[in-house]
Amino acid sequence: MRAETPLRSETPLLSVQGLTVTFDGFTAVSELSFDLYEGQTLAIVGESGSGKSVTALSIMRLVTLGTRAKIAEGQIFFRQPDGSTIDLVQADEAELRKIRGNQISMIFQEPLTSLNPVYTAGNQVVEAIRLHQDVTKAEAYQRAFEVFERVRIPEPKKRLKEYPHQMSGGMRQRVMIAMALSCDPTVLIADEPTTALDVTIQAQILGLMRALQDETGAAVIMITHDMGVVAEVADDIVVMRNSKLVETGNVFDIFEKPTAPYTKALLASIPRLGSMTGKSQPERFDLVDMDAPV
Amino acid sequence: MKQIAVRILQAFGLVLAVIVLNFMLVHLAPGDAVDALAGTAGEMSPETTERLRAQYGLDEPVTTQLVTYIGNVLQGDLGVSIGNNNRPVTEMIAERLWPTVLLSITALSFAILVGVFVGTLAARRPESGFSHFTTVFALVGFAMPAFWTGYLLLIVFSAKLGWLPVSGMEDLRFRGGWFAQQWDVAKHLFLPALALGLIYIAAYSRLSRASMLEVLESDYVRTARAKGLGERSVLFKHALRNGVIPIVTVMGLQFGAILSGAILVETVFSWPGVGRLAFEAVVERDTNVLLGVLFLVSLAVIIANFLTDLLYRFIDPRIRVSGSANG
Repeated sequence: MRAETPLRSETPLLSVQGLTVTFDGFTAVSELSFDLYEGQTLAIVGESGSGKSVTALSIMRLVTLGTRAKIAEGQIFFRQPDGSTIDLVQADEAELRKIRGNQISMIFQEPLTSLNPVYTAGNQVVEAIRLHQDVTKAEAYQRAFEVFERVRIPEPKKRLKEYPHQMSGGMRQRVMIAMALSCDPTVLIADEPTTALDVTIQAQILGLMRALQDETGAAVIMITHDMGVVAEVADDIVVMRNSKLVETGNVFDIFEKPTAPYTKALLASIPRLGSMTGKSQPERFDLVDMDAPV
Repeated sequence: MKQIAVRILQAFGLVLAVIVLNFMLVHLAPGDAVDALAGTAGEMSPETTERLRAQYGLDEPVTTQLVTYIGNVLQGDLGVSIGNNNRPVTEMIAERLWPTVLLSITALSFAILVGVFVGTLAARRPESGFSHFTTVFALVGFAMPAFWTGYLLLIVFSAKLGWLPVSGMEDLRFRGGWFAQQWDVAKHLFLPALALGLIYIAAYSRLSRASMLEVLESDYVRTARAKGLGERSVLFKHALRNGVIPIVTVMGLQFGAILSGAILVETVFSWPGVGRLAFEAVVERDTNVLLGVLFLVSLAVIIANFLTDLLYRFIDPRIRVSGSANG
């Protein structure tokens, strides 16, 4: 758990208000609200199908591209580096394209499939840089080299020329992080960035993300179902279930005194060392009654 | 490099097998070129037929003929045409080669460009009217045989509207400069290429629609959008290069079909190509010419597949580096 929680005197960097997303009449996210502040790490936690990934994709409005999803209600206010505020739900595509990958970046779950197999890692990072910055190709490659060094990719010069299939899963995720950080975004959304990686690489990637956040001061939204990850990196938590917000608050408070029955069950599900001493089988979990009064 | 050398060796073995198979197939049919000559002449004495058979080596056992033929082919000699005053087959094919290459390449390029473009646009909005139209068009296009489409196009554009020439490759009465001459050939080329290409436009549009639909759902397309790329770059830079991989595979395999389609279309449009030469050779039982054309077509298909392999490596780096798609 992080020792310091940032001060909250300023206005939020990103404010999601009453967000409702539907797919052909099915509600994937229902009236969700939360705020994100500069330098903060907010974890959105929930089981599969709870709507956490849809929430992440809705912030950049990627959820509506090439799908039947619709943002039915709500606003997503984003404070841009020049101080102006924009509602991402109402913004037109041209405005969004300037924000995507530039002011708000995203890292995905599957580093294996998230990079285009037919272009080199360098090509894909350089493309992101040249899209948002007025630099020559050589300058963009130099910048990509620096970002590769920043995300601790060994032999960055060689790696720039490599294709995704020539790299390990952890290395590919570093390339994804490099791509996301290449334009110094103020918000980084990480959608289960460590789920597809093995445990030692998970720890490396989480450690790297924390170090980079300290260096850049970016706010991070971490989507995860892993309470271990939450405990390690988050300042605050949003707990989701069945498209709705269950509980939100400071990570210490929620781990210490969860109020919603679902959150309690979620925390109880974390395996604890020694909890099975003297027992032949793990204990059964109680069924969660979502309607029980908090 | 080693893989390419192995492929060349394989191709060589394949060509040899094809020669043997073609030779046996042609000789399985009863009768030979001398019978056809006798038929054309009206009457021929048994002595003359015997003498002619001995002259062309047709009285030897089939295996001896085959060994002699392979030996000749390896030296670049495809024999002489019995029906055409002993003209060398290589010479006859050489003068008909360019029209067929022109027709096939034009039809294929036309089919790939239009098919992939239409399929890609259809995949972008799979529920749109345009997308449904392409599906129906592909079905109809695929169901129409090339020679029938050829006659339809002839009736409409040449006979009724008079916009384009009916047959041949150039106007015999034509007088003019080099550019005007090319334009004249282009006008003659349009309808046969369209007739031949239409069926493949249908196939490629359907294939690229399906392939692009799958690619557009992939994670790296979402990454491209998350970078801030516009839909055009997402579609034509990130999705298309992955989407054309199955099309390249089919393209190599279909090259043989294009050539056999060319035989029909060349006959309909009196296009002076290898296809029509083959058709004439079948009618005249001109074994050497037929074998020569079959050899050439087989060679073209093998070369096309070899080139497809190289193109594949160029498009998909996973194959280039490891030799397998799984990396």
